[in-house]
Amino acid sequence: MIKLQDITKVYQTGSQRLEALRSISLSIRKGEFISIMGPSGSGKSTLMNILGCLDTPTSGEYVLDDDKVAGLTFDELAAVRNRKIGFVFQNFNLLPYATAWENIELPMLFNGKSGKKRKARTTELLKAVGLYDWRGHRPSELSGGQQQRIALARALANDPPILLADEPTGNLDSKSGEEIMAILTGLWKSGRTIIMVTHNDGIAARCERIIRIFDGRVLS
Amino acid sequence: MNLTLPRFFWSEYRKRRKKTSLITFALFWGTLSTLLLMAFGRGLTIQFGKAFNGLGDTLIMVYGGQTSLEFEGLPKGRQISLYPEDISYLRERIPEILRIVPESYGYLQVSANGKEINRTVHGTTAEFAFLRAQIPQPGGRFLNADDEAGGRKVAFIGWTVANDLFGRADPVGKSIIINRVPFTVIGVLQKKMQDSMYNGPDAEQIYIPFHAYSQIDSRRRLNQIHIQPLEASHSKLIESRIRTLMGRKTRFNPEDRYALFFWNTIENNNTVSAIFTGIEIFLGIMGALTLIIGAVGVTNLMYAVVKERTKEIGIKLAIGARRRTIVGQFFLETLFLFAKGTFWGFITAFNIVSLVRLIPLDYGSFNTGAYLLRPQFSLSIFFIYLAIVGVLVFLSGLFPALKASQANPIESLRYE
Repeated sequence: MIKLQDITKVYQTGSQRLEALRSISLSIRKGEFISIMGPSGSGKSTLMNILGCLDTPTSGEYVLDDDKVAGLTFDELAAVRNRKIGFVFQNFNLLPYATAWENIELPMLFNGKSGKKRKARTTELLKAVGLYDWRGHRPSELSGGQQQRIALARALANDPPILLADEPTGNLDSKSGEEIMAILTGLWKSGRTIIMVTHNDGIAARCERIIRIFDGRVLS
Repeated sequence: MNLTLPRFFWSEYRKRRKKTSLITFALFWGTLSTLLLMAFGRGLTIQFGKAFNGLGDTLIMVYGGQTSLEFEGLPKGRQISLYPEDISYLRERIPEILRIVPESYGYLQVSANGKEINRTVHGTTAEFAFLRAQIPQPGGRFLNADDEAGGRKVAFIGWTVANDLFGRADPVGKSIIINRVPFTVIGVLQKKMQDSMYNGPDAEQIYIPFHAYSQIDSRRRLNQIHIQPLEASHSKLIESRIRTLMGRKTRFNPEDRYALFFWNTIENNNTVSAIFTGIEIFLGIMGALTLIIGAVGVTNLMYAVVKERTKEIGIKLAIGARRRTIVGQFFLETLFLFAKGTFWGFITAFNIVSLVRLIPLDYGSFNTGAYLLRPQFSLSIFFIYLAIVGVLVFLSGLFPALKASQANPIESLRYE
């Protein structure tokens, strides 16, 4: 499903050159539950961003679902993100002015789904994460765990085959973290590919495979 | 067209209204102050023009004088007077003259309705109305040729004379006694602004046919002659032709500056026009500066508000928004803000101008209110203002949004 070949990412700031990723090659099969681990500055977030089509590699080849991602335009990448990838961020990244309902509905608005379909899907997702009764609340009126559940529901709005989670439990208490992990595990079991960045060995241990990164290279 | 996104943007805009209220207010205030400044400036210029033309706009007045040069054996210091026959003498010899009118006047006793006043009474002809902006109030008229030919004893009076003698009653058709001779009032002067005058404002004058006047004042000589040239550009030529012709007739040196006096409103008009142009330029600069200050304020606010939303742009990009969706949203929001601020600014300015214009004017000479209370609203100025501020506001609203939409979504997501 995902294939990276000799991916490098170089950041050039003035005369300074920083190699965030050095010739990374890896492949991820459909339905895998993978955790990416590594110390700060190891390049795991950069790898996650490239996997999520939020960033493009300096060189190398990235094939997603048999499509080469490298040559896509900004808007084509946006379309790929919208249809194929769901994001869950450590700090939730919900729109502060929108309600829980609107936050979940937004990715569907961006791909032109009809009002009827949007309504049905939003209702389904809110019920799935147990927050239907909170649909009219803004993020500031929700707890961290509730916000992350809304973020998860938003990530699933367009039913993407891949879910990318960047430290999804990093800002949560253990109980809320456990709830999120339970949802993620459930999603994996239903056939979704899940790639998660984490610092937590215990959480990583629950994944099928751990990819360790150090200094821009894959160790294992 | 799928209207769901714009609808969503509208709902986001409504939720953020409080945050943008300062921009809306800045736009409102900028529009209001610029439009008011320009409206009052324009009104002032127009009222100045009206006041200046209150005497007459293309008018040359000729007065007799005293010679200052010896001429053909005649000593200097001779009195030069104008007489009724000079009218036809000059008209026949100067084709550049469109209208020429005699005027004689004296300070006489006038009574009516049991009241007695002293006013300047003028003897003149019908054409005087065209030269000296004598417009009658509805229901009355100025002197005409038949009054002159028929030797009628009729009078056209200024509005303060009417008020002094008849109060609020309509004086038309009523009788007034001038120097013990009864005259019938045929019209009252319509109120006008007038900042140039002789013997006081026209509001206080009484005009009767020239022939009738000569029956109550035995002096033959005229006080002055009024001339309207065919074209304003002829005025200097007419002056010099009159000096030559009158010099030949009454024997004075045409170069003698003191033998005749001229009050040339056309020449004065040129000077005054230059002053008005100066005022307009000054107000234009003031308006432009106000506009720039306002636009800089709005631009700053706009930039800050959009910058603050960089992260939001990042989130939207991450979940699949296209660039044009992001830019479109900011374009629409800027449009809402701009339309709201300028619309209310326009409505408020328009209403203030309309209300001020309802305040009745005091036509007394040199009354400040008469100059200030007739602001003139200009749609063209509003459109110029809209164009300039519109460009600045849209640039300041769209530029950061465009930049953020083109940046890597990661950068926008990291923005705090």
